[in-house]
Amino acid sequence: MVSLEVRNGFVIDPMNGVFEVKDVFVKNGRIVESLDKPEMVVNAKGKVVVAGGIDVHAHVAGGKINMGRKMRPEEMRYPRFKSDNLRSGVGRVLLTSPAIGYEYARMGYTTVVEPAMPALYSIHTHEELDSIPIVDKMALPLFGNWHFVFKFVKNDEIEKLSNFIAWVLAKTKGFGVKVVNPCGVEAWMFHGNVYSLNDTDPLFGVSPKEVITGLISAIERLKLPHSLHIHCNLLGIPGNYEVTLETIKLTRRFENSERQVMHVTHVQFNSYAGESWKDMSSGAEFVAKEVNRNNVTVDMGQVILGHATTMTADSPFQYELFKIFKTKWSNLDVELETGSGIVPVYYSPKVRVHSLMWAIGLEIGLLVDVDKVVISTDYPNGGPFYSYPYIATLLMSEKFREEEMKKIANVERYSILPSLSEERTLEDVVKMTRVNPARILGLNDRGHLGENAKADLVIYDLPPEPNPRDYESILKALSNPSLVLKDGEIVVKEGRVVKHTWGETIWVKRDYDEELIGDELEDFFNYYTVQRENYGVPHVRREVVLC
Amino acid sequence: MLILRPKLSFEVHVEAEITPDLAEMDLKDVLNFEVYYGKLVKRLGDLFDVETVGEGKRLILEGDFSRVKWIGKGMKDGEIVVRGDVGQHCGAYMEGGKIIVEGNADDWLGTEMRGGEIVVKGNAGNRIGCNFWGEMEGVKGGKIIVEGDVGSYVGEKMVDGYIEVGNAGDFIGTEMKGGVIVVRGNCGYVGWDMKGGEIRVGGRFDLPPSFVEENGVWRGDVNVGGKGVIRKL
Repeated sequence: MVSLEVRNGFVIDPMNGVFEVKDVFVKNGRIVESLDKPEMVVNAKGKVVVAGGIDVHAHVAGGKINMGRKMRPEEMRYPRFKSDNLRSGVGRVLLTSPAIGYEYARMGYTTVVEPAMPALYSIHTHEELDSIPIVDKMALPLFGNWHFVFKFVKNDEIEKLSNFIAWVLAKTKGFGVKVVNPCGVEAWMFHGNVYSLNDTDPLFGVSPKEVITGLISAIERLKLPHSLHIHCNLLGIPGNYEVTLETIKLTRRFENSERQVMHVTHVQFNSYAGESWKDMSSGAEFVAKEVNRNNVTVDMGQVILGHATTMTADSPFQYELFKIFKTKWSNLDVELETGSGIVPVYYSPKVRVHSLMWAIGLEIGLLVDVDKVVISTDYPNGGPFYSYPYIATLLMSEKFREEEMKKIANVERYSILPSLSEERTLEDVVKMTRVNPARILGLNDRGHLGENAKADLVIYDLPPEPNPRDYESILKALSNPSLVLKDGEIVVKEGRVVKHTWGETIWVKRDYDEELIGDELEDFFNYYTVQRENYGVPHVRREVVLC
Repeated sequence: MLILRPKLSFEVHVEAEITPDLAEMDLKDVLNFEVYYGKLVKRLGDLFDVETVGEGKRLILEGDFSRVKWIGKGMKDGEIVVRGDVGQHCGAYMEGGKIIVEGNADDWLGTEMRGGEIVVKGNAGNRIGCNFWGEMEGVKGGKIIVEGDVGSYVGEKMVDGYIEVGNAGDFIGTEMKGGVIVVRGNCGYVGWDMKGGEIRVGGRFDLPPSFVEENGVWRGDVNVGGKGVIRKL
């Protein structure tokens, strides 16, 4: 690990209000104020220097993506990395674990969140996260359909619920609380689903509304760094934007001055108006307005036209998808906790619905306040994460959007995207990929280049205010960073991965009293295939614990 | 026109994605064409003698090519003549032109081909004219004719095109969606989960119970609401 000076680069660091030519100094993997004799000097004249990117939502590890790999051997025909100095990596959209780490590093991303870890499968998930090189990782356990949660919520036992959350985070080395289609996945086990926030789960009789507010209360009580991370009910169904609005409104009774109280993820899939696929149109405008009014953040869930594999814990929705596409389908029941489904899709530019999904994602990216939205594709549901530079360029250039819209089905009557002339600046994109995710996750050691921040640093060969009409060079520069540092080490040069390193797994520890929930644990573990003492993850490769 | 002869008897498989395009390249480039010998990267000239004979977009392969894979992969036009046996994946992803194998062919002949023609004078292995693992659509066009017998799995998930074989093993036209498969001799089960297309059999064959007889032909597979046809030659 050398000490290093990045000289004369144009630093864009919105969190610290820096937008000027400045030298950046790196020592022992951290940013420092100054250095007397740097061992190495990188000349960044004429280039921009930003922090490493952070992905708040990408299914990069765990039972689902692995099942997807098993289901889709045809995805593995595409070689990406040869084994000289690196691990070999293959994949079209579903990549192997080493390829995931390298591809993230190659586009200047250094942190990623695996947002749906069934707690029962946390051993597998962490094993896979441990095989992803370079980037730092986090995993969010799934809570929304867990029998424990239903029971505590039904009896209004928020203290027990927060104890339980803390117990789960410690056992599974989890980072926060993820909810997928609350009550709907449980109802699916009884051949049903929930269709509004007041429908109830057939076993416990609790509603999504109670589960969401109960979990938010517990999270705020525990002061977790990340808020509730929610995949709303009725995802992917025309007309679902109303449920999304109702869900967002639930946050009004909570206050938090430091961060959002709810992160609505891949909101594109939850912003559909209309009554059926035939008359589906965009509800992004309404959702964006509601997000801007409330203490809520979102990530885009942009669709990239082409191949993708949908995999969510939302089993009923996956069955609907299977009925549409009639390709392959797998469905999984995770004991008392959750379920999941996997269906391969091809987002075709000729299909109006798919083109509209593409447009709705961009509407979200343009209409939501710039400090509330994060770029994501809900990898691999909406498409590959390595398309983030493409999404950023679309947001930055109206001309590029016009060019791309010529290639797809006409969406003019159903989406306002063709009339939007907003263009995000490079600084906005830095916010949407660095600053916002760090704030949303409650991580203050990254997403900026202030003193003592992690030396995750990216140099792009771009002017600080690139000309949006020259979108080709923007896309090229964003896709091929000149240099990427991870913890002060050079891992990527001119778009090529040059070094294999291991990142950290970050998890959150809160004090809990196991006695308090002892009876419930005892009771439920009678129905698990795993003994209570064997539940959870004993160790991971490199861990950082936030206390 | 080029004639290729192996320089040695191969101990491991050679992966040589050679197409008739080679006949239009400079001899120097042909000799430098990258091939794999097991895990080693080699030049075509290291493993084969190359001789230029006259004009024309043709390759003549003389000698034992039974351990050489991927011959004619994705070829678009021209002709390849194999004077002997040929290895796996011959004519995979082929889009046009013609491959004539005078000996036997191995497994995965003409996998996922889009057009063109493959003629095998001897026998062929398993998975003739199928898809690679996982792909939802197999052969989409072209013609495969095997004069001898073949193994199991013929034309799985076939969408369009024509396959003709002598005797065959089990599972002919599984999940087929279109096109025609002709089995001149006997074979095992035909047409499981067939959605469309036609299978014609000359000899004995096993019929899945999910087919309905109608005017001397069988239609199905009713399990998947298919409209495939199985008939006697």
